[in-house]
Amino acid sequence: MPQYKRYYPAAAAFAALVLVWLSFFTVKETEFVLVTQFGRPVRTVTDAGLHAKWFFQSATYFDRRLRIYNPRPSEFLTRDKKNIVVDSYVAWKIADPNRFLQTVGEPVAAEMRLHDIVWSGLSAALGTHDLESLVSTAPAGVEARELLDRLTALTGRAALQQYGIDVVDVRIMRLNLPEQNKQSVYARMRAERERIARQYRAEGEEQALSIRADADRQKEEILSAAYEQAEKIRGAGDAESTRIYGQAYSKNPRFYKLLRTLEAYKKVLDDKTTAVLSTDSELLKIFMKGEAGAK
Amino acid sequence: MSSAAPTRMLESDRLPGLPGPQSGLRTSRRIRIAVAAAALWILSGIYIVPPTEQAVVTRFGAVAERRVYPGIHYSLPWPVDRVYRAKVNQLQRLVIGGDPADSVLGRTQPLAAQFLTGDQNIIYMRVAVQYSVAVPADFLFRPVEAAKTISSAVEAELARRVALRGVDAVLTTERVAIQEEVLGAAQARLNDYGLGVRLSTINIENAAPPPEAADAFRDVASARADTSRIVDEAHGYANDLIPRARGEAMQLTESAQAYRQSRMNEAAGDAARFNALAAEYAKASEVTGTRLYLEAMEEILPKIRKLILDADGNVDLSIIGKTGQK
Repeated sequence: MPQYKRYYPAAAAFAALVLVWLSFFTVKETEFVLVTQFGRPVRTVTDAGLHAKWFFQSATYFDRRLRIYNPRPSEFLTRDKKNIVVDSYVAWKIADPNRFLQTVGEPVAAEMRLHDIVWSGLSAALGTHDLESLVSTAPAGVEARELLDRLTALTGRAALQQYGIDVVDVRIMRLNLPEQNKQSVYARMRAERERIARQYRAEGEEQALSIRADADRQKEEILSAAYEQAEKIRGAGDAESTRIYGQAYSKNPRFYKLLRTLEAYKKVLDDKTTAVLSTDSELLKIFMKGEAGAK
Repeated sequence: MSSAAPTRMLESDRLPGLPGPQSGLRTSRRIRIAVAAAALWILSGIYIVPPTEQAVVTRFGAVAERRVYPGIHYSLPWPVDRVYRAKVNQLQRLVIGGDPADSVLGRTQPLAAQFLTGDQNIIYMRVAVQYSVAVPADFLFRPVEAAKTISSAVEAELARRVALRGVDAVLTTERVAIQEEVLGAAQARLNDYGLGVRLSTINIENAAPPPEAADAFRDVASARADTSRIVDEAHGYANDLIPRARGEAMQLTESAQAYRQSRMNEAAGDAARFNALAAEYAKASEVTGTRLYLEAMEEILPKIRKLILDADGNVDLSIIGKTGQK
């Protein structure tokens, strides 16, 4: 027996190991595997785990995970002829490895194709919408979501048929205005702020004036009401005193007349008065006639 | 192993030129090494998941255990099983946008921070997103770049929400509403993507007008302050005026009350005096009348100038005028 023959079993074991190695392959959760036979695709394995193939077949691995492709922001024209810079992203993954391999081959090339599809889709979609339907404070008129849902569906169909790509989502990440328009936007913003500031100040003035006027009115009301009440009180006092006087004096009107007349004389007659007194008068009768005058 | 050992021994016995005891020793050493290696291989399947993490085990690439909680565990050794770990309890953070201040200094791209509001104003925003891993198997195996996916989805939802509101609302009142809406919508979107992520907070850290219009925005703020100052002053005026008026009114009515009371008291006093006098007058009316008359004359006549005429004498009254002119 030749010396080298004792290595036969080892060689056989090694060959068997290589055969086993070539006959099995694992598919990770993150992968698709395309089994090719002399370059011709035979089948696609999408289930993760251990799989068998013929040793002469080979396995090509594809990353099946979700990718985010973020095209460079580009400028579009809306229906109302306004320029807008759209920054979007495409969430996509490989759906059909066979077609993907045949048409694009690798993710970078796929993203170039996606860029074209999404760009033309966005261009067409934005061209049929006014800027107000994308950006507006009236939520009812905004159709951005519907637009993007339609675009996703449309892009998805095209990409799946042509390239074996599943477009999960197309979204606008950011809307912005072109640089050359921004200065006028800032100017408009400033003008708007100035208007608002003026409005605030005028409204403040209005409010302050009305508060002051209201206070003045209240003051007048309070004082005039008080005047009314005071006069009523005074009137009541006068009336009451008149009643008291009337009641007292009407008991003896003659005496009142005498008393009050004498009282009035004291006030009416002063040093500027010249009285012509007749000797016949009550006062001077006695003066002229003596005791007889007293009668 | 025990069945393999004797055949090996037989084989080594057949080999010529090698002494028996030595070969036996080598064979048993080999066996021991093989056993130790096999034991090590089997033991290498032991792994520990620390408290902050969870693990996913795959067998030949397919997920065998979706969620392994912290502790000591065993999986089949390489190349059968593989253990992937994910930090589930740790909040991870990413930032969208930036500061206008930074853009002035050129530290960030201003475009990254600019958002367009519904009334077509440009504002700068910086938003912090915090998320954690909810389903480790999905998080590890579904996306190529989880962070980029999350930030893109959040940014898209944020831009859409901002584009529905006026600049004032975004800067002031609607911040919390935007945060909540974006959180809900972005979470739903990430669930659609099957990312296995849970967004915990979305926080608008900064929202500011562009530096080019910042002074105008500040002027609005100061106008607002001016307004409240003017209104406060007016309130102050009213608060000063009305109590004073009330006091004055009180004074008016009180003095009227005093007047009424004094008039009534005077009247009562006068009436009492008159009544008393009248009672006495009634008793001796002629004498009293004369007395009162004469007393009054005494009081009046000394003050005035008098001309006394005889009762039937005729007088040229023009002298009165002359004396009056003196």
